[in-house]
Amino acid sequence: MRPENYQAVSQPPSHEFELNIGPNHPGIEGNYALKIKVEGDMVVAAKADAGYLHRGFEKLMEGRLWMQNIALVPRICVPDPAPMEICYALGVEALGGLQLPERAQWLRVMQLELSRLAAHLFYFGGVAATMGMYSNMFWGVADRDLILDLFEAFTGGRVYSMYNVPGGVRRELPDDFLGRLGALLDYLESRLPDYDRLFFSNYVMLQRTRGTGSMTQQQALEWGVTGPNLRACGLAFDVRRDDPYLVYDQLEFDVPTETAGDALSRILVRRNELLQSIRILRQVAAQLPHVAGPVRCPIPNPLAWNIPPGESYTRVESSKGELAYYCVSSGGDMPWRVHVRGPSQMHAVQVLENLAVGARLEDVAQIIFSLDACPPEVDR
Amino acid sequence: MKTGKQLVNWLDTVLREFEGVQLRHSGRTRLRVDVGADALPALLELLQGLGSYVHLSAISCVDWIDDDEFELVYHVWSYELLSLVSAHIRIAREPGTYLSIYDLYKPAAFFERDIHEMFGVFFEGSPDMEKFILTEWDGPPPMRKEFDTRKFVHDTFGWQDYNPQWLQALKDRGGGIVK
Repeated sequence: MRPENYQAVSQPPSHEFELNIGPNHPGIEGNYALKIKVEGDMVVAAKADAGYLHRGFEKLMEGRLWMQNIALVPRICVPDPAPMEICYALGVEALGGLQLPERAQWLRVMQLELSRLAAHLFYFGGVAATMGMYSNMFWGVADRDLILDLFEAFTGGRVYSMYNVPGGVRRELPDDFLGRLGALLDYLESRLPDYDRLFFSNYVMLQRTRGTGSMTQQQALEWGVTGPNLRACGLAFDVRRDDPYLVYDQLEFDVPTETAGDALSRILVRRNELLQSIRILRQVAAQLPHVAGPVRCPIPNPLAWNIPPGESYTRVESSKGELAYYCVSSGGDMPWRVHVRGPSQMHAVQVLENLAVGARLEDVAQIIFSLDACPPEVDR
Repeated sequence: MKTGKQLVNWLDTVLREFEGVQLRHSGRTRLRVDVGADALPALLELLQGLGSYVHLSAISCVDWIDDDEFELVYHVWSYELLSLVSAHIRIAREPGTYLSIYDLYKPAAFFERDIHEMFGVFFEGSPDMEKFILTEWDGPPPMRKEFDTRKFVHDTFGWQDYNPQWLQALKDRGGGIVK
């Protein structure tokens, strides 16, 4: 933010105004900016402006051991960090030819789905706040905190778990953890009618989001939309079901869809995914006592671990969409290249720029939030 | 009507028509294709048009500095065949230019801009090659292997001694910060 780059420039008389939404704005998630041009309160042009959260993760990873990078990757997406570490670990395991123990796979699914629940609750709070509904925000954040308590119990960390290592997970579950998990799932399920009354059937919410930021399925496919945002356009695609990893092919769950492709559809898809994640977690809790075995496979000394030359492209379904890691090894103890493909790289840039044009100024924050874009995923 | 497996076999046959192409399957859903840089746009057009690979998952760039080449990897996904093709090409590091595939895949705009910013590869025909993330960076593209982050930090920033009272007390007792 050098001052010389931001001097006031004299413009010819016009009915248009330029406005900066962000980088610090209650209507945006993280530090990110959308520069818009408005005529009256109608947006006529929009340009995404990133870089406020760039920490050079991909470069940093090239200078750290394969194992050390587990501490870096969750920081790429604060609200949903578990898919980051698991996707990276899957990439390293594919390169190193490691066989992941079955119990570790179930534990990873549990971590992923708990993280999805936490991220969706965070999302409901954020998107409601853009409409002035702060009760929902406080509820969402408070209920998410209960999930973070569970993360603390079985990983040691509330947000950045760093629970995974290439080859498995760090430790076993503490005593009576599954009892606590079951109690939390019961509680969250009992809360859904409250959320429905407060938010999902709220007249103001329905009026503000129906038809806001609409895209067709054709547009969504052209713009590279993935995850819940794509399912809100009617395409029932989910990496967990259609390109399965871990033990997702052994689990029963539905892939909720909506058809309108607007902000309301995006919110409702996530609301229904909440139920599906609870359903998956109940199956995991029932299965875990019957899956014995180690939680990680033997690996070489991680301080002197040369991974054979090769490449891997691993994908998982994060709460925001398709997350992928492209890992390349040149045979050394550090990655030669790690490329992080986050769903927000599409949703927060090209998709947002397109959807904002034609919208009203007061709806822009809702469009941003309804896409559930995660700026640090763009910046890395 | 072809089944998914028949379609994949058919695609293999079609892809082998490209000169110098190498195919390598890994698992049921992954196919690596190595092809000459000149043939990539035609290959992607064929994959998209005939093979229904409509989703550009990512474009990755790898700097092979010892070979004086960049490797560009185009990951495309088919929602119908449920398979991922990673098409690999190599281009010379200098002048480091290649063709944009924006006309075929709109998401290419982000990935090409990112690669231009981080590696310095210029994509002809891409809609926007302006800086995006490193707006106020005027050094070399930082993801190139010759850019040494540690050296840059040493050359650019001064070091400050950090020796607060509590640390001094620890040192006096034989402790301190692990180096």
